[in-house]
Amino acid sequence: MMSVWRNIAWVFILLSMPLCVSAQSDAQEELDVKEIVLGHVGDSYEWHITSFKEKDLSIPLPVIVHSPTSGWHLFSSRHLREGAEYEGLRIAEDGDFKGKIVERQADGSDLRPFDLSITKTVAGLLINTVLLAVLVLGAARWYRHRKVSDAAPRGFVGMMEMLVSTLIDGLIKPCVGPNYRRFAPYLLTVFCFILINNLMGLIPIFPGGANVTGNIAVTLVLALATFLAVNLFGSRAYWKDIFWPEVPTWLKVPLPIIPFIEFIGILTKPFALMIRLFANMMAGHAVILSLTCVIFVTAQLGAAINGSMTVVSVLFTIFMNCLELLVAFLQAYIFTMLSAVFIGLAQDNGHQEKA
Amino acid sequence: MDLGVIGAAIGAGLAVIGVGLGIGKIGSSAMEAIGRQPEATDKIRTNMIIVAALVEGVALFAVVVCFLAL
Amino acid sequence: MGLLQPESGLLFWMLLSFVVVFVLLARYGFPVIVKAIESRKQYIDDSLAAAREAERKLDSIRADGQALREAAEQQQKEILLQANEMREQMIREAKRKAEAEGQRILAAARERAEAEREAILQDARQQVASLAVAITEKMLRAKLEDEAAQSRLASQLLDEMEHRQTN
Repeated sequence: MMSVWRNIAWVFILLSMPLCVSAQSDAQEELDVKEIVLGHVGDSYEWHITSFKEKDLSIPLPVIVHSPTSGWHLFSSRHLREGAEYEGLRIAEDGDFKGKIVERQADGSDLRPFDLSITKTVAGLLINTVLLAVLVLGAARWYRHRKVSDAAPRGFVGMMEMLVSTLIDGLIKPCVGPNYRRFAPYLLTVFCFILINNLMGLIPIFPGGANVTGNIAVTLVLALATFLAVNLFGSRAYWKDIFWPEVPTWLKVPLPIIPFIEFIGILTKPFALMIRLFANMMAGHAVILSLTCVIFVTAQLGAAINGSMTVVSVLFTIFMNCLELLVAFLQAYIFTMLSAVFIGLAQDNGHQEKA
Repeated sequence: MDLGVIGAAIGAGLAVIGVGLGIGKIGSSAMEAIGRQPEATDKIRTNMIIVAALVEGVALFAVVVCFLAL
Repeated sequence: MGLLQPESGLLFWMLLSFVVVFVLLARYGFPVIVKAIESRKQYIDDSLAAAREAERKLDSIRADGQALREAAEQQQKEILLQANEMREQMIREAKRKAEAEGQRILAAARERAEAEREAILQDARQQVASLAVAITEKMLRAKLEDEAAQSRLASQLLDEMEHRQTN
């Protein structure tokens, strides 16, 4: 216990040191932390792995672009490095489409073509999707040649089985209600999809590290899927509660106030799902990166400060990574649970569960 | 500095204060409820997460508005 | 702001990959696992029920065997008892028969002895009679002079004879 307190005191001393010294230091070379963080959290056309002696080591990814003037383009993003132009296309340095591929038009203006490029996020997404399919189908394959009376699976298949049965018994069955069987595959898919993308995003090197679930387009599709699952299979009582709820009549006859609010509620639920997952995952990536950047920000402040801050940064990054591990699971769980609750409420036939 | 950025930052801060209070209240009530009825822990936890998610959803709207103002 | 705008290309790829993985997993992935889990659960329940049933049956069989053994013991005891009784009866019967036979033999012997004695008596009577006749003849022939003495003698003789016979 004493050593823990000593460590904490040590961390605080280290933390307060730069505050005393920073007044005198003048930064010669400004490190743009915002640029680094947003560059990672955003998207890019190649998968940057590391920089080594002023040379970038990165995996070029295919660029697939359809322009209304010049048709389809398919080439490696290697040609677009360092702002180079290829087939009339380049990555915009600034402007509205900063960091995106634009096409220079005849009159000198830039046009954003229809962009189906395999960007870093798309590549990560595809890798994770294939990985998920392989893992789950591999686990399912295990059962093909086995009878019920055989021994229960061990290892990975056993883990999958435990995960599935925990989710079904602890989450899907109580939240969705009696016809949970119909929605169980969807909810399990969503859970595993988010979980594997979150976890892969925490791995800092190549196959992982892409900020997939921290991207609004990804969460938008997931939220849309839940929206469809809720509303396409909604019961009559669910729709009645929206358009003719049991409230005083003046609240719904001349001006449909409550129905309007309820209708907005249909849209805000999946919207909240979308933003929640996106914001949590993006914030996690951003915080970890910012903490790592502390090392480089303090590089100009002298060896002592830089060393101490490196220790602090590493400690905090480890802590944040552990937290993110929890958040990765928690967000997948919350997304699945709220989807299940919304589906369950839409399936409900009476008023017994509506609070 | 741009006034919009300041406004966004203040707005985000206010949203965080509100959500902090809300989720803190949910958490304290849930802990109290679990303390009173330890056998209902699972149900309480589930409902706690759902309500916390609803509160958090409101805060996320605020955050989105802040983003838009940025 | 840029982060909040969904990119059309990413949207397309996400939609494609999610739909594909969802169809794949919802058809070939999770239902298989869920079904396997449920059927295993069912199997375990069934096995438990079968084990309980078997135990119950075993108990009843054990009880049946116990009852059977008790019945057999009872029967054995009865048979032994019966056999004992029969033996006793047989012995009694044999004894009775033997006794009757002995009685009969004894009676026959007695009868024969009686008959023999009768015959002997008859014979003796005849002999006495013939002896008396002979004596009388002799007395008649030799000592016919003293009639009184003769008859006395004769009766004395007769008396004596009678006497001997009764003894």
